[in-house]
Amino acid sequence: MPVSNKGSFYIFIVGTAISLVIFLGLTLQTHEQVDALTHAEKLSDEVVAGKHVWESKNCNECHTILGFGVYYAPDLTKVYKRIGPEGIRLAVQQPEVIYASSFRKMPDLNVTDQETSDLIAFLEWTGNIDNNDWPPQDTDDAMSASERRLAGGMGLSRGAAVFQENCMRCHSIGGSGGGTGPALDDIGNKYDAATITRFILSPTSINPNSKMPPQRGLSEDDRAAVGEFLAKQDGR
Amino acid sequence: MQPGAPGEELVPYKSQRVAYWYFVIALGLFVLQILVGLWLAISYAFTIPQDIVDVLPFGMTRAMHTNLLVLWLLLGFMGGAYYLVPEEAKREIYSVKLAYIQLAAFVATGVTALVGFAFGWSQGRPILEIPLPLDFVVVVGALMFLFNVGMTVIKGRKTAVLGMLTGGLVFLALLYLFGMPFYRNLTIDWFYWWWVVHLWVEGAWELVTAAILAFVLIKITSVDRKVIEKYLYLETALFLFTGLAGTGHHYYWIGAPDTWLWIGGIFSALEVLPIIAMVIDTFLTQRRHGHVIKHKVVWLFAIGTAVGHLIGAGIWGFAHTLPQINYYTHGSQVTASHGHMAFFGAYALLNLTMFWYALPRLRGVRRYNPSGAHWGFWIMGFSVLGLSLAMGVAGVLQTYIERVLGEGFMTAQAQMQFWFKIVIFFGVCLLAGVLITIWKLLTPKETAAETE
Repeated sequence: MPVSNKGSFYIFIVGTAISLVIFLGLTLQTHEQVDALTHAEKLSDEVVAGKHVWESKNCNECHTILGFGVYYAPDLTKVYKRIGPEGIRLAVQQPEVIYASSFRKMPDLNVTDQETSDLIAFLEWTGNIDNNDWPPQDTDDAMSASERRLAGGMGLSRGAAVFQENCMRCHSIGGSGGGTGPALDDIGNKYDAATITRFILSPTSINPNSKMPPQRGLSEDDRAAVGEFLAKQDGR
Repeated sequence: MQPGAPGEELVPYKSQRVAYWYFVIALGLFVLQILVGLWLAISYAFTIPQDIVDVLPFGMTRAMHTNLLVLWLLLGFMGGAYYLVPEEAKREIYSVKLAYIQLAAFVATGVTALVGFAFGWSQGRPILEIPLPLDFVVVVGALMFLFNVGMTVIKGRKTAVLGMLTGGLVFLALLYLFGMPFYRNLTIDWFYWWWVVHLWVEGAWELVTAAILAFVLIKITSVDRKVIEKYLYLETALFLFTGLAGTGHHYYWIGAPDTWLWIGGIFSALEVLPIIAMVIDTFLTQRRHGHVIKHKVVWLFAIGTAVGHLIGAGIWGFAHTLPQINYYTHGSQVTASHGHMAFFGAYALLNLTMFWYALPRLRGVRRYNPSGAHWGFWIMGFSVLGLSLAMGVAGVLQTYIERVLGEGFMTAQAQMQFWFKIVIFFGVCLLAGVLITIWKLLTPKETAAETE
């Protein structure tokens, strides 16, 4: 290459400078836009306290958030939307119960009620960061393949539709769905439709040891539809 | 003058001997890192009972794994710097005592951090886990190091290699500061986290690497110093030109402006160019000067560094750096696969190249039987390739099952368990390769024959 050492030194300086200017310019732009993109007006002291909990309990050492961290456990960027505040509370405070049947365990980290509330606030705020709709599996229009398959196979009865919309984040049928709650493949052998319907509104009235949060958000008709749908699940 | 020729001083400056303990401790940490890594792979492949998980969570062992990596590589760099600076500056190190105090500070920090992790004492931020009080010890240690190297360079002969080295070391130390504060906003937190992690491995460390590699090449090949310096500038120019703005490939999905998708995508696609230039450069050197290269083992590791850099950092990095692909692979085992191949190929091998140059000399050995070194090299190389490929398969499975099909996280993990058993197998092989390498590095025997 017909370049002198002095010439190559100048190429080094100029090349580095160009890239550095672009990089620092965009850093400035990031600082200008980040408040809007992350809804910083909702970044309350509670959220910040939650971030402290997030760090002090080493959550990020197994989980990812915004895709960063460790890949041993699920990404928590949009976990608030995925399992809701009650789901987070249960997983954090009673992991040994929630993951009893899971082949990978979550440690019990002695998180207090207050710390859990702060953590939930932090994760709710995080879930609203405008991050180009990542991760793909948690986007609004993403309906999982298992949900689609189940819905298709059942001709989408009302009960099945309500079930896949509201229950499958925690429960599974035929191996499809979440693992937080028990699998419901043969729940029909245990309870009849009316009992299941009551269970959904008040789990502990049927099973005092249940960890399931009461589903007050479901209408009476929806609860009844799910009850009938589940009563038919006899494991065959 | 041919290095290793009779009559030439093996270690011309007394203070270069400081490097010995840096190298030996670095190697010990390397072994520890692999042992912890095996535990991590076991944790992926099998069920660890709740009782064990409650006492020693996966996260804290993973913190040990990554911190051991960073510590042994940095000690290797520092030892390498202490070894090469006297020969380049043509004078003894400013203060040998300070160099030992600094080593003690880093080792004490490392031991405290590792024991602390076992008890959950951590800042909870991946790779930057060590708690704030220890951060300050690191800063003091780094200042001692920079002062010591700086004073030696200022008082001695100035070369391009030394300029590149000190520039890289100052840059490295400055960036560490951005990882220390608490950030209220998670997005800003990760933004500056990458100033440490990305700008280290694709910025400051590349400068240090380039300087160390240039030093070794000047010593073991007959290539003129001026020629090596010229390529040092040109290749590092390309590394920094692409690497600085290339930081953008970490900012696609964090709540930063969309401009990063363009800048990050374009510049990181270019990031493979300096690596290709480096490989071509290496093979041209082999063709033109291969017959006069005396240190075949060192040269093997140097070629390994160039090729490993290309596979791990260049190809593996390029494969998932474009936003359209990264949307699906981001934060999956694909990243872990890339990380293992890149850190080993680029930085573990670079350190081992320097160790193979310096350690036999520090033990007073001029010629030794190279066959053990070759065995170590190939076993390590294929093991890391094997375990990275297994992680890569696991990562592609995860990407497809979790991100494309939308099945649950654990559904994907169940399909990946088999591949982590493969990782365990290659991890054991890697351990064997590293132990052979260390054994041969620390017990070289003078041979009369022309083997080396």
